[in-house]
Amino acid sequence: MSRIGVFICHCGENISRTVDVERVAREVGLLPGVSFSTDYKYMCSDPGQNLLKNAIQEQKLTHIVVAACSPRMHEKTFRKAVEAAGLNPFLCEMANIREHCSWVHENKEEATVKAVEIVGMMVERIKKNRILPGITVPVTKRSLVIGGGIAGIQAALDIADCGHEVILVEREPSIGGHMAQLSETFPTLDCSQCIMTPKMVDVANHPKITLHTFSEVELVEGYIGNFQVTIKKKARSVDEDKCTGCGVCMTKCPQKKIPNKFDQNIGLRTAIYVPFPQAVPNTPVIDRANCTWFKTGKCGVCQKVCGPGAVDFEQEDRLIVEAVGAIVVATGFDLYTIDEKPKGSAIKGYGEFGHGKIPDVIDGMTFERLASASGPTGGKILRPSDGKEPKQIVFIQCIGSRAREKGISYCSKVCCMYTAKHTMLYHHKVHDGQAYVFFMDARTPGKSYDEFWRRSIEEEEAVYIRGMVSRLYQKGDKIVVMGSDIAVGVQVEIEADMVVLATAIQPQKGADTLAQKLGISYDKYHFYSEAHAKLRPVECATAGIYLAGACQGPKDIPETVSQASAAAAKVMTLFSKDQLEREPIVARVREAGCVGCFACKKVCAYGAIEEKEIRDRQGNLIKTVAYVNPGVCAGCGTCQATCPSKCVELDGYTDEQIVAMIEAL
Amino acid sequence: MTQSIDTSSYSAITEAIQAEAQRVLGDGTVTAVIGYAAARRKGSAQPIVISQADDAARLIFTPACVNNLAVYLTKAKKEIPRNGRIGIVVKGCDLKALVGLMGESQLKRENLYLIGIPCSGVLASTIQPDTELTADTLASKCRECDAHQPTGCDFVPPQLPVAPELEKKYQAEISRLEALTPAERWAYWKEQFAKCIKCYACRQVCPFCFCEQCLCDRNKPQMVETTPRPAGNTAWHIVRAMHLAGRCAGCAECERVCPMDIPLNLLNRKMAKELKELFDYEAGFEVNDKGPLTMFTEKDDQSFIK
Amino acid sequence: MHPEKTSHTFEPKVIAFVCTWCTYAGADLAGTSRMQYPSNVRVLKFPCTGRIDPVFILKAFQQGADGVLVSGCHPGDCHYIAGNFHARRRFAVFRKLLEFVGVDLNRLQFSWVSAAEGGKWVEVVTDLTERVRAMGPMTEFKELALEEQWSGVIDTPELKEAFSQI
Repeated sequence: MSRIGVFICHCGENISRTVDVERVAREVGLLPGVSFSTDYKYMCSDPGQNLLKNAIQEQKLTHIVVAACSPRMHEKTFRKAVEAAGLNPFLCEMANIREHCSWVHENKEEATVKAVEIVGMMVERIKKNRILPGITVPVTKRSLVIGGGIAGIQAALDIADCGHEVILVEREPSIGGHMAQLSETFPTLDCSQCIMTPKMVDVANHPKITLHTFSEVELVEGYIGNFQVTIKKKARSVDEDKCTGCGVCMTKCPQKKIPNKFDQNIGLRTAIYVPFPQAVPNTPVIDRANCTWFKTGKCGVCQKVCGPGAVDFEQEDRLIVEAVGAIVVATGFDLYTIDEKPKGSAIKGYGEFGHGKIPDVIDGMTFERLASASGPTGGKILRPSDGKEPKQIVFIQCIGSRAREKGISYCSKVCCMYTAKHTMLYHHKVHDGQAYVFFMDARTPGKSYDEFWRRSIEEEEAVYIRGMVSRLYQKGDKIVVMGSDIAVGVQVEIEADMVVLATAIQPQKGADTLAQKLGISYDKYHFYSEAHAKLRPVECATAGIYLAGACQGPKDIPETVSQASAAAAKVMTLFSKDQLEREPIVARVREAGCVGCFACKKVCAYGAIEEKEIRDRQGNLIKTVAYVNPGVCAGCGTCQATCPSKCVELDGYTDEQIVAMIEAL
Repeated sequence: MTQSIDTSSYSAITEAIQAEAQRVLGDGTVTAVIGYAAARRKGSAQPIVISQADDAARLIFTPACVNNLAVYLTKAKKEIPRNGRIGIVVKGCDLKALVGLMGESQLKRENLYLIGIPCSGVLASTIQPDTELTADTLASKCRECDAHQPTGCDFVPPQLPVAPELEKKYQAEISRLEALTPAERWAYWKEQFAKCIKCYACRQVCPFCFCEQCLCDRNKPQMVETTPRPAGNTAWHIVRAMHLAGRCAGCAECERVCPMDIPLNLLNRKMAKELKELFDYEAGFEVNDKGPLTMFTEKDDQSFIK
Repeated sequence: MHPEKTSHTFEPKVIAFVCTWCTYAGADLAGTSRMQYPSNVRVLKFPCTGRIDPVFILKAFQQGADGVLVSGCHPGDCHYIAGNFHARRRFAVFRKLLEFVGVDLNRLQFSWVSAAEGGKWVEVVTDLTERVRAMGPMTEFKELALEEQWSGVIDTPELKEAFSQI
């Protein structure tokens, strides 16, 4: 027999002004099962909580209903208090008589009657509440970081520095990501390579970090604390253990004219290559599509010249399985492809800007490679068409971004700043050149950002024209840029030597496929979704998976690094305990009744439901039933509403509890 | 003058299924065949399970072979893997039930040997078994049958079914009821449900009522009143129709066995109609990974939601 | 259960099944913003609209609700990824069934109310309450509850007397 205690809070006067709390306490005191009811000025205060704890002891109460504010406000408070007094916290429920009653009704009689009914419903509900023991899940204190750009590197280093093993997986042959491609970085103009490469080397040398480059995540199974990840190590054709990184193979390779993706295809590389000289690991990869050996079966020069005998044409893709407890997704971004319209996508291209047709119309990242001291031109700004120095250069912002009609409505966030940087780099390298920028707005929030932007205009003499470009075309060796200056209200025509388009940031290609493997959600652009836009910005809705960097949305380097460290901190929080404690609001299967139709499994968005075989002592299969993995279940209860025989029940929201409330009406 | 329905092919079909059953039982393809055999009353038929090749001669197919034999596979499904592959004689409508059961992990195709029947129709439950099959004596479900010729079976006799165009009684009745006011519809169903004696024959005969513990038998909490009173009856039939939505393919066995002649298939047809309109879903044609109520699309209709 | 008193001061019972993350929070916001609405509604909190079983709606009507509201997160906002999408399908079908057996769908309201839409909560609850008030009590299920199988009608004086003494 339950001995229910009901505690009615005045909430100062917030409740008692419109609800006759004494009458509520009196009336609910008469309900069957209620052995104690009282009212108090502030139940959530220390004396209020003590009143509750003492009453539990003195009255030997078994179930508690606190009628006060919204459970969203103080349910945790009272459940803790109840736990401190020796009861299971799930034997305490709150009746919301403030937000749902006293604050929304003026008539005291009406509000009081309603309050009595609300409390009455909760009294009936709590009779059906069961003791719910907390759920603990073991935690494997190793983590997986997907993506070896600055976000992944930072997260991996932070986690590894705390002494936990990290598996870092990178799709390309080297870590470094887009940041390694940049020339100099805003707002301080320090060389990207100078600040990036030491971190890359740290990753390579860190005893706690296992680096898998040229590798991809194939399959993710399991749940928070207990993931099994299958990683595909693509065939490199070079034995990583034997290779010393001497580079002789690359100097001897006869295939020398392959466009280098790292240099935005304006530089050239060999068929056996490292993408850039500071690559980590410094182990080459054979590009099998372009290698003479793989195309014709003849050549093999690299193998002949390799002293340690590291070149291995027979190497195959390998699958490795790693057990990890947490996953940081840091897959970064890709740039908007201006000229082509991706198939099946709502995003339209910018054919009118001639990118891909006019050789001197380039994108921002290509400009970075031109400006980079280690780039294909050795840091000289030269036109791809004829290698001449451009004297008039036009930068056009918001290519792709903020253009709803073209399919992307968001702001790519970094273009205003990097275009300002480009004008500076240009001015530093081409002293007699003139830079023009077509822009919609300058968006420069951030420490020292606006000052930086002002500097490009005031000190580096960039001419900013507010307005968009309507058309550009080749005329002789010039590119005529036609646009409008809406500030002055005139049409502008500039004969430029080079045009740089600030193209939008998009998620990596295949971001959706990876999300499906991980079971995380993404938006219509395929940026990954955080659990809460403001309060849980680095966590995915899927427990144990965290986000870092531009895979979540456009970000600059400082922001990316901050989020990476935040994600690492979240991983460390998870790793700080051997067992993860979870709220026991999870679904449970009554195996005796389950007929194994698996409707529950079909509707579970978390993949928490598995098929379980029930066998007799001889090992004969009796039946296959559903099993809910409590580590994965998020507690939505969609399974229960779907189950025809209600053989899966959500603890804390059982049919008994809900029907008891409906019947109390 | 009532239109007569040509069932002359049924004797040839009978011979064909006898031969096939004898063959598959004889060569051990299956361990048993579920089919129809003649019953005691003249012209009547009853379900039979045979496990000897010699018994194949007992199998028949006549307009009196009304039962949906799929139900024997659900109730006995635990025995199937242990006993090997089972042969079953199926009309197109029965096959739809099997397809649904496969989609719900209740049966595996490889455990079944399907002997399909090119069926022109069977007799209504109210008609004496040895009556000639005509448009008047035809079961209502057969009037709107879209699966006279079963597909995807292991064996189907070569005879072709006849499928005359007849007025669709269920569709007509649904349209009639839809045109009424809610109060009039309530009055109609109240009268129908009041007849219910909660014998649960509808549940017993339904291939999709395979739950081991029916929600409506639960007492903690009691979701549906179990006594045969109008309130509980109404709740039972509403819950049943909801549970069958998207699954029932219209074998109409519930309606056939109902001793109180409640038009149960009308509810099920109405739900099927809604699912077709809402989600373009029709049950029973292919084994689907997910049914219409265990999946969604982001563009589903929400005009009814404020 | 007793027959509803016919009285012009009819106060409808309205039951709201809501999800905790959006609509419950939206109702909280209405409270925090001190918005006013009829006191007829009783709120039952669920983790997600995906948890709301159609049987609960039936049960609510049987227990004397004159109007039922089901409300959750807007599409795409579900805290549990897709619970509201499953609920949307389920209720699209269930309401058609109720309509077919003769329940007036004006008594059954579905809505999306986000945690920020305190005003919408007030509007939805007020609309439903006032609509149901104008429609009068939901007598169908209550009458059913009174009926017995063996006759369906209390037509003899003895029975009437016995019934009135219940």
